Order: sequence, then structure tokens, then C-alpha cells
Amino acid sequence: MNINTNLKEENTYDAIVIGSGISGGWAAKELTEKGLKVLMLERGMNIEHIKDYTSAMKAPWQIPHRGKLTEEQKRTHPVQIRDYPYNEATEKWWVNDLECPYTEIKRFDWYRGFHLGGKSLMWGRQSYRFSEHNFEDNKKDGHGNDWPIRYNDIAPWYDYVEKFAGISGQKENWPLLPDGQFMPPMEMNCLEKSVKKRIEEHYNHTRLMTIGRTANITVPHNGRTNCQYRNLCSRGCPFGGYFSTQSATLPAAMATKKLTVRPYSIVNHIIYDKDSKKAKGVMVIDAQTNKTMEFYAKIIFVNGSTLGSTFILLNSTSEAHPNGLGNASGQLGQNLMDHHFRCGAVGKSDDFKDKYVYGRRANGIYIPRYQNVGDDKRDYLRGFGYQGGASRDGATEIAEMEFGGDFKDRMSFPDDTWTMNLTGFGEMLPYQENRVYIDYSKKDKWGQPVLAIDCEYKENEEKMREDMMNDAAEMLEAAGLKNVTTYDNGCSPGMAIHEMGTARMGNDPKESILNKWNQMHEVNNVFVTDGSCMPSIASQNPSLTFMALTARACDYAVKELKKKNI
Amino acid sequence: MNRREVLKKIALGMGGILSATTMGVLFESFTLLESKKNGVLFTTTDEAILAEFAEVILPTTKLSPGAKEAGLGKFIPMIVADCYPPNMQTIFSDGLKEMQNRAVKEYHNDFLKITPQQRKELLDSLRIEALQNKKAPSFFKIARDLTILGYFSSEIGCTKAREYLPVPGYYDGNVTYKKGQKAWTLN
Repeated sequence: MNINTNLKEENTYDAIVIGSGISGGWAAKELTEKGLKVLMLERGMNIEHIKDYTSAMKAPWQIPHRGKLTEEQKRTHPVQIRDYPYNEATEKWWVNDLECPYTEIKRFDWYRGFHLGGKSLMWGRQSYRFSEHNFEDNKKDGHGNDWPIRYNDIAPWYDYVEKFAGISGQKENWPLLPDGQFMPPMEMNCLEKSVKKRIEEHYNHTRLMTIGRTANITVPHNGRTNCQYRNLCSRGCPFGGYFSTQSATLPAAMATKKLTVRPYSIVNHIIYDKDSKKAKGVMVIDAQTNKTMEFYAKIIFVNGSTLGSTFILLNSTSEAHPNGLGNASGQLGQNLMDHHFRCGAVGKSDDFKDKYVYGRRANGIYIPRYQNVGDDKRDYLRGFGYQGGASRDGATEIAEMEFGGDFKDRMSFPDDTWTMNLTGFGEMLPYQENRVYIDYSKKDKWGQPVLAIDCEYKENEEKMREDMMNDAAEMLEAAGLKNVTTYDNGCSPGMAIHEMGTARMGNDPKESILNKWNQMHEVNNVFVTDGSCMPSIASQNPSLTFMALTARACDYAVKELKKKNI
Repeated sequence: MNRREVLKKIALGMGGILSATTMGVLFESFTLLESKKNGVLFTTTDEAILAEFAEVILPTTKLSPGAKEAGLGKFIPMIVADCYPPNMQTIFSDGLKEMQNRAVKEYHNDFLKITPQQRKELLDSLRIEALQNKKAPSFFKIARDLTILGYFSSEIGCTKAREYLPVPGYYDGNVTYKKGQKAWTLN
């Protein structure tokens, strides 16, 4: 009988990265490029760049139900169907909710993708830096704990990740939205340019409207082809036109020949060694066979997405860590945040009837936060930004439920008038009582307990939403648009898919899980660099900040390893 | 329904790997669905009727072929069978039958045999009724919605009624609109 005495050695690496999404992919790339032998554990299936993007090149009539979901898909995805991202063309990339349930103490829409690349395949790609302002807000108004870093600590890392990822944008020299290392910006269309000019003049240049800063490349980069303006990004891009694990960080990591990727590997808990006071490795459940196994490493990067990571940490209990790994502060699971959005204004323009567009731009405009800045004082704290854009597609009916030849022909042409939309993205304050914890009364498909999520918007968020609508209407009217109407399509925590917090950074170990290097205060060879580490969320889309924090933490971790400090 | 049978077979084939909870959910739900299944099946005659219905909604014009040629006769019943819950399927198939009955009552002939003008009149009255009961789902609303969805995502709708570019290559937001230029298909 063969006994594999090398099993432990075979299962031992320099570093383990839990998760393969936006931040996990970066950790794998940075650590392998610095010479470490790395095991990247992905809980879901493998997805190969280009080969597995099966719907990417399909024409609309080649999608059998034209995007509509079947009854069976709705039955197995009761949470994913709550908003637009889950549709027929992308349906393999959103979780079967029945397999991985969770407890909603209050409504929380948890959108997840269990596959290599994670949400880096389906993300919205908007990429904005935080500004000094954002890092100071917690200290200034006392909500949440003080960030242990400031803009100058992370600025060089924003430079670093932007250069590799490829972010297109327009330099604006606008302090609250620091410029980045940009590729040439995408173009605004004729109405957007006009609205920008009129808004900025009307408000005496205290407000800015700029083209979206997006992780779509506008020139060829590192073997990837520039965006071809098909606007089908979330199906995976055969051109590599946007940043994802598959298009960018994974190939770089694989080129080092130091990366092992193991899909179908659910990390159940981190194994703690009480003698060395370090993490020894991880216990993994194979998602296909349910077999359990252990892997060992000198350092562990936790990048399983905000709530995925916090679940693992909460589930990693031991005598020394009875409430979860590194949780002597009790902070683990607390201060869950998400952006609130889905409200704003829309208006029509009588101009530019002689103009149209060519190409489908996978990007819009951006108005950075201007509230509670300088003389602009509101009756709520912090504020919101806007995404949006103009188009003349989407001809609507004149008579309700009309039909016939004239109707069909009219629908075959662009709309008579252009429409412009502004939709707000609001910051949510950190509230201790917005929290997650483990619910042992339920089990998922693999026998693990589940998360209970108790999170709600509070007064500051509700008050902000009024301005998100009214300010947008005021701006569109100032820009000369007609028939301006506001809307609020209702929003629940989770819908923005920007959930953050629950394992926050901080200088004080009594108030935080991680130090300023994303290193666990109590277990110095564990690093957490996904959304769970955030002490506050600003109003900017967060993924670029996850990338920068990850690269910075990897740099520190490897230096510490070399110095034998961890 | 085929899809459910396939899933059942896959579940059984996985042996004891799925937890009891999941197996229970899968098979309980199957039982539930089977008993709730209203057995709506569409015949080739139904497809022909729906094709003519769709052709009234979006008829052939000088600019482009109509919904019938775009295959809506088969598309509409497929979506109703796959994507609508049983109660909506019942509303749809009852309404389809009701429309056929009205053709016979008003014009003394099958829907397929009355004239296009008579069909248009019939649909006009269905439309007015749907407008009067705005909040309630109805055969006319469902069938009209699916006609529009199906047509403007069909090859004819995308490439003849409108214009389709698989790979535009660049973006220009300030193009001169040429008179008579059709709208771009948006996916």
C-alpha cells in the first residue's frame, strides 16, 4: 500500500491566497512575482479566459430567451433575480442561492459569483481613487474608527495598480477626485459635453462632470486589445478589453511558474497554531467531492470577498480565538456598509437632433461628491456622487400599448429627442449594529453554517437620497433639459454589490482587526485586503482601492517575511 | 417538462453527495411544480395564430419584414412555457382561446381565416380592454410585450428593422445623423 508521506510537503506553500477575484488575483500576482510559491484557492469552478466566455460573441437572437430567465433559473436564484446583473447571458456566473443560503435579519441582497475571477468578470469597472477627504471623514465626524492610513500612504500604490490594470480617464486636477495614471479617456457624446459645460458654469465651477474612469483599456496593453465598444463586458471579453483576473493578473502570476490554482476549494477555516501564535494553513472542503484536506503556508492572504472572508474568520475559532480569528476586539462582523443608489433624475433635450452615436460605450459620465465641501453644507453627513449618461436610443410609444406598421417603423429609428440620466451613489456611514454573525441553525450544501446579515440604511442615508434626486433635477434643468423628473426605484443594502467592512483596519487593536498594513493585529501572518478591511466607504466605487491596498500589503508582507519578522 | 427531468437525473446521478437538505429541496420542489403544472401546451395551430397576432402588432412594412417572418409564432409560446409561472400561463392560454372565440363570434370564421383588417379590429378591441384594466396582466399585454421583445432581438429586427454591429471598434458620440438612418441594435 502506498502511503504518501510527502503529502504534507506537497501541500505546503510559501503563501496561500483565499479567493481569486479582484483582490485575490492581485495577491497571487504580487506574491509570485516577488518569488513566493503560491497556492490560490478558489471555491468555485475554473473559467478560462476567452475559451469559457460562451455568450460573449453571441448576437441577440442567439440568446434563446433573449435574456429572460426561465422559471427554473428563478427558482434556484431567488436572491440573484432581485436585480439586473443576473440574466440569461451571464447566468452561470451567479450563485445558486439554494446551495448557499444565508439569514436575512433585514433585507440584504447578497450577489455572489463562485468561480475563478469572481466578480472581476462581471464588475462595473468604474475606478476612482479615494481622496484625503475620504480618509479623514471618520475622524472628523466620529462615525467609525480613524483610518490608519492617509492618501499619501496609498497614492504610490494607486499609481502602481492603475499602470498595470489599465484605467482610462481624463485628468481634471480636482482635489476630491485625485487624478490617476490614465490611458486616453473615452469620449463624452454631444449632449453630455453640453450638459457638462452648462452645469459647471451654472455652479461657478464648484462641481465637475467628467468622463467615467473605467478599467476598460483604450489602447493596447500588455498583450490585451483595446475596448471594442460592444458593451457586453459582463459576459467576459475575448479581447481582454477590461481588467479581470483572467485578462490581467492571472496571466502575470502564471508567467512566474510559481502559482498553483485549485478551484472547487472552499476554505472552511484558517488553522491556528497556538504555540507559534500564527496561522498554520487552511482547511478546505472540496466543493465537488465534499472531501476535506489541509494546506499549509507561511503567510495567508484572505481575499474571499467581504462577507466570504469575514465568514471564514468568524468560523476560525480556537481556544485562543473563541470568537473568531483575531477577534479579541469583538469588531469582526461589525460595521457592514454598502453604497445606496437607484435614485436620481432624467430629462430630455431638444438639441442635437442632427447628431447620433457610433459604437456602444461601456461607460458613462461621473460627478464627484460636492456636498459638505467648502460652503456647501447639508443636513446630513458626507455625501454622494453621480454616474449617468445621455442617449437617443429607446424610442418609446406615443399611444399606450400601440401597435402597427407606423409603430414598428418608429421603433426602428433613434428617439426623436435625446435623454440624459443622473443616478446617485451615496456613502453609507459605518454603524456598529449593522453586522453579520454565524447562524449555526442552518447549513449550506457542504454542511457549513451560514451567515446571518443584519443591516439597514438609517437616517443619514434616507436624508441624503432626497438631495440625490433633487440636486440631479436641478442640475439637469440648469443644463437646459426639459420634462425633468426625479425617480427613486428603491434600494436595499447589498444591491450596489459594494458591501464593505466587518474586518476593519485601525491603529487600535481594541477597535479593529487589522493594522495599517492590512495585517491582523493578533496573528501577524494573516492579511486581509478585500472589501472587509474598509473602515469607511466614501461614495466612489471601491475596487481600485482594493487593488492598491492588496499590492501595498503584499509588498510589506514579503519584506517582513524576508526579515523573518513573520 | 424536459428541463426538470434533466435536472432530476443529474441530481440522482450525484449519488449521496448532495446533502439531504438539497435533495429535499430539489425533489420537494419538483413534486410541487409537477402538481402545480397547468399543462399548458401550444399546438402548431396556436403557433400559426400567434404568428398572425404578432404580424398585426408589428407588420411587414416597406422598411422591414414583420414579426411573422421573424419567427414570433414559435418564439412567443416558447417564452410563455419556459419563463412564465403557471398562473400567467393560464391567463395567456385562456386569452388566446378567447381571441379565437371572438373571431368566430364577430366575423364568423377562424382567426386564421379572417382578413388582416378584421384581425386589426379584433386586436384594437383587445387593446382597449387591456387599457381599461391597466393593472391586470392579460393575454394581449403579454403577447404584445413578447412580440416587441422577440422582434427587436430577432435577426430580422436587429439587422433589417435596425442596424447591428457585432464589433463597432470605436465610439464617436458626435456623429452626423444621416436622414433615414436606422437605430443601432443595443443588445
